[in-house]
Amino acid sequence: MAGFDKITEKLSRSVARGTSRRSTLAWLGAAITGAAAFPVLPVARAANPHGGGDSGRVPVTSGLEQDPGDRTSCDYWRYCAIDGYLCTCCGGSVSTCPPGTEMSPITWIGTCTNPADNRAYIISYNDCCGTSDCGQCLCNRNENDRPPVRPQSNNDTNWCLGTQSNVYNCSTAVIVGVALEK
Amino acid sequence: MVMRLLVAALALSVAHPAQAAAADYPKPLPEEPVPATALLPAVYPESWILVHDLHFGSILDGRVDVVDTASTAQPLKGIVRAAQFASHLYSRDKHEIYTAETFYSRLTRGERTDAITIWDTATLQPKGEIVLPGGKRYQAVTYSGTFQFTNGERWALVSNFTPAQSVTVVDLDGRKVLNEIDLPGCTFIYPTGTRGFTTFCADGSMTSLVLDAEGKVASSKTVDGVQDIDKQPMFAMPAMVGKTAWFVTYYGQIHGFDLSGDTAKALPNVASVGTAEGGDPEWRPGGWQVIASDPSGRLYVLMSPHGREGSHKDGGSEVWVIDPVKNVRVMRIPLHGTGFSIAVTREAAPHLIVARPDGVIDVYDAATGAFVHSLGASVAVSPVTFTVVP
Repeated sequence: MAGFDKITEKLSRSVARGTSRRSTLAWLGAAITGAAAFPVLPVARAANPHGGGDSGRVPVTSGLEQDPGDRTSCDYWRYCAIDGYLCTCCGGSVSTCPPGTEMSPITWIGTCTNPADNRAYIISYNDCCGTSDCGQCLCNRNENDRPPVRPQSNNDTNWCLGTQSNVYNCSTAVIVGVALEK
Repeated sequence: MVMRLLVAALALSVAHPAQAAAADYPKPLPEEPVPATALLPAVYPESWILVHDLHFGSILDGRVDVVDTASTAQPLKGIVRAAQFASHLYSRDKHEIYTAETFYSRLTRGERTDAITIWDTATLQPKGEIVLPGGKRYQAVTYSGTFQFTNGERWALVSNFTPAQSVTVVDLDGRKVLNEIDLPGCTFIYPTGTRGFTTFCADGSMTSLVLDAEGKVASSKTVDGVQDIDKQPMFAMPAMVGKTAWFVTYYGQIHGFDLSGDTAKALPNVASVGTAEGGDPEWRPGGWQVIASDPSGRLYVLMSPHGREGSHKDGGSEVWVIDPVKNVRVMRIPLHGTGFSIAVTREAAPHLIVARPDGVIDVYDAATGAFVHSLGASVAVSPVTFTVVP
């Protein structure tokens, strides 16, 4: 996280100094690789501290010891900074959008620690867009989330950007790399 | 034949119970005219408040609810549309509500239109609209900084995010767009001076801009190092005391900015919400609209005892009341349940209004902290921000 924050901070500074924000952010989007992120629903976790896992759903797991946890539960390790409906509950998966939606090509990212291998992974919270809110498995966690003054670190923003429609449906949590050593 | 039987059955069903009661009530109830639609006062009483309902389950159908916080029987007075991560403004003097919205021609798909809709406060009917070019309006969970007045409420400013950032200057009275100002790396709008605004930037600086009569930038000034976004980020929505904006940070510092002149000035003294026992691990501000002011200039901050990295939107169990000038905490108000957003009315005896994550809205006496009554979850599905009636 620290490593990526440095990248984004440097980016922000360069932007603020007057370079083309559009081109710079386009570069950021490309660098994040399909990261599209998304925002929404503050307080979901306060209202429902355990997310989808408490709703009587049958757990959905990876089957891999190295990627443990219920992907319908807000406690799943990749969701440390997610804000929205979990695509696993909406017809998609932790890394794919539901049918009928379009994955946003730009996004915001978080860094979450995998309890199995203790690595810090960069997670891209690509939003799925073009169908109205899924309404299932609402989840909001905010580790290292920062206010919109630093948009690339903010999950309140509707990151359904660069898609045909910016109507928000659900959020994925895609592994896009391992964070640099702190 | 069938109809005749039906009429007979209806007559029986109606006549039978009426026979017993008619003697007691010689006059029938009067006929009621239709159609009939309620009206509101053009200027809302000070116990009223605008509640932004993001409508999490269907954000494209968001709303602004007009709510009487003094009425437990019928607190919801009316609803204005606020579609797709909308923002709103209220003008007491012009008797208008404004919503900055986004629409698609086929609800979720098709041609995108961004527009400001102008609503009459008495009828809640639309009076007009101003289409915003470019399909770029900043959409987010409701923040007051995305849509603000300037120039004596004759103009509005709209934040854009594509993610390139800019601000659109709109002449509300003239029903036209005046200009678009590129603001790379800078987010949100804080009205400053008579015709201008301040914005905060990702490098920790802030820039104040003065606009000319055509909405163009007449002058601007940047001040570096007003915010440490890593270590002491400010919640983006301030509490206003006159022309002073008070921001609270994730860790409980209170920073004031004087927005009365052409250039925003950071006040030299930083106040604090203070500390308290019982934190697990510590008390920190938490929620969405976490800071409010009352007419005397005291600040109200929503506080969580479970403060840690990532807790800043979890809501709080107490409201701490601060005098930011004297830098003292004057009261702690324990809440009924977790609060998510707060506001204080401008009544002669102000009330603290608290929205909870379950949609319940509670009302407290701001002077004493005493619980007054609850409106229940009766006005909004997802109440996220309040606009108090001045």
